[in-house]
Amino acid sequence: MEPVALQDRSSSRAREIALEFLKALETSGLSVWVRESGSLWSFPGILLVHTYGMGIMVGVILAIDLSILGFVPALPLAPLQKFFPLVWTAFWLNAITGTILLVADATTKLTNPDFGAKMAFIVLAVINQRMIQKRLFGDPGPTPSTPSPANGKMLAWMSIVCWLGAITAGRLLAYVGTVVK
Amino acid sequence: MDVLQILENSAHVHLLLNHVPTIGFGIGLVLFLTGLAAKSDVLKRTSLVMFFVVAVVAIATYVSGNAAEAVLAGTGRADFPPGVSPAAIRAHEDAALLAFVLMEVTGFFAWLALWQWRRVTATTRLPGWNLPVVLLLSIATFGLMARAAELGGEINHPELREGGLRQGDVIQSFNGQAVTSDEHLRTLAAAAQPGSTASIGVVRDGRARTVPVEIVDAAAAEKRVARTSDAASLGVRVIEPLTQELAAQFGLKPGAEGLMVAQVYEQGAQGPSEIGTARAIGLWVTSVTWVWPTAETLHFVGLCMLFMVVVIVDLRMLGVMKSVPYSAVYQLLPIGMLGFGLNLLTGILFFLGVPSQYVKNNVFYWKMLFVVLGGLNLLYFMLVDAAWSVGAGEDAPFSAKVAAVSAIFIWAAVLFCGHMLPFIGNSF
Repeated sequence: MEPVALQDRSSSRAREIALEFLKALETSGLSVWVRESGSLWSFPGILLVHTYGMGIMVGVILAIDLSILGFVPALPLAPLQKFFPLVWTAFWLNAITGTILLVADATTKLTNPDFGAKMAFIVLAVINQRMIQKRLFGDPGPTPSTPSPANGKMLAWMSIVCWLGAITAGRLLAYVGTVVK
Repeated sequence: MDVLQILENSAHVHLLLNHVPTIGFGIGLVLFLTGLAAKSDVLKRTSLVMFFVVAVVAIATYVSGNAAEAVLAGTGRADFPPGVSPAAIRAHEDAALLAFVLMEVTGFFAWLALWQWRRVTATTRLPGWNLPVVLLLSIATFGLMARAAELGGEINHPELREGGLRQGDVIQSFNGQAVTSDEHLRTLAAAAQPGSTASIGVVRDGRARTVPVEIVDAAAAEKRVARTSDAASLGVRVIEPLTQELAAQFGLKPGAEGLMVAQVYEQGAQGPSEIGTARAIGLWVTSVTWVWPTAETLHFVGLCMLFMVVVIVDLRMLGVMKSVPYSAVYQLLPIGMLGFGLNLLTGILFFLGVPSQYVKNNVFYWKMLFVVLGGLNLLYFMLVDAAWSVGAGEDAPFSAKVAAVSAIFIWAAVLFCGHMLPFIGNSF
């Protein structure tokens, strides 16, 4: 047999196994409850928490970004770090609710390139946010006169672009991508 | 509460509220002109507050208008005037849309002037451009409002409208043949000769009857149709399978089968010039693929901008980030207002696209109520000195904490209602 054909066969076998796995996720008790229970606590409630989390997290991060960029001159940057715990709480809340929503719809979401785009934006945004916290809020500590390093504004723009990208890709999940049955 | 009751209540709300924009704006304009002439800051600020409040209440007035139309157009009870002029409704709808948009713009600039006023100190002055802009906008808005109100008054002159399907009809047969599914109905309608008349068996207002319906060219009609469950050749835009819940609401026997007409094209309307601006925008929203998803995405971005202000300003009042004075977080308010403006704009697009899914939905009216409350709540943070005087390191007064908790509750409720539209109500 030709090696190419072998490779094709094994990759299609791998895809089959992956799809089996996604289907198993999708038919689990939790997934079925989320999708089909009709309870307001299931899909609607989980998505609601996901939306609150988005509003709080992106809202606060946006304020930090705009503050770095100088759009809110009266608002000192350093005290905004008081909101970091809230930002990360909202982030983990959304990671959890997002995972539940993902498992409930695994074969559709995980085969959708748009979902990959959303994850990529979020990973970049999180790394970016860590860098903002380290470089602009780190040592020498929270003084109102903490100077913005030269790349601070770059990071702030990156943050805005990444979160807007994540929101856009997330919203478009409802519209693009093929459904694998 | 059933759909009919929702519609009738909101129709009453429209008849009640529709005087607020016209009269309120008139009074505001008189105060504003007097304030300008007398150089009275108190009068000027009072009129700016009035413009803002009226603009907020106008949101509720505007959306309740479509419910009033749905009642007039036949989804309501049979004892309503037997018919109204669709042309008169369209004229009022378009005039109202224009006046509404201009009123919201006026409200925004009036709010911005109020916002700037707070920041006026001994060394800074109110920018010279703002009050003249508000003056011009408010005069134009008042003129358009008066026109919309006048056209609205003309609606109640009934012209009899016969034949055709109406919103709320439940289709059961086509030329005597029982209809089993929306696909079946579409197939039957598509097979009929354009221009011919079909007898459609419907249940309307709880009674079975047969109505003549002219078959139109489906290919031409379908260009304006975006959704799959449509029967364009019947001049019907959206058809929904009859659920048992809907059947009960429309007075049908349990177990009754059929298809409910959710939306109807104007008879004989062919292009934007005939269907009116509001409907043309609505068709653009539903028929151009990218518009709805884009508007939804922007609605989410606006939500984040609004939540930025809600979280930071209100939590500051509740004691987080106490080292920062209120006057510093106050600078964020216009960003939240821009987010609200973005959501108002995209929200109007959704509403114009598929009004029926909102006007029959109680959750939507709750959302509008909370939006109005949110606007009024914001006035506390704009006008009350107790909030403004919270300095660096100071605890906010009790009233500011109450206002902050209310604001968080109100905007969380706005999001809750908006999110639940498809799940509690019938929207998508």
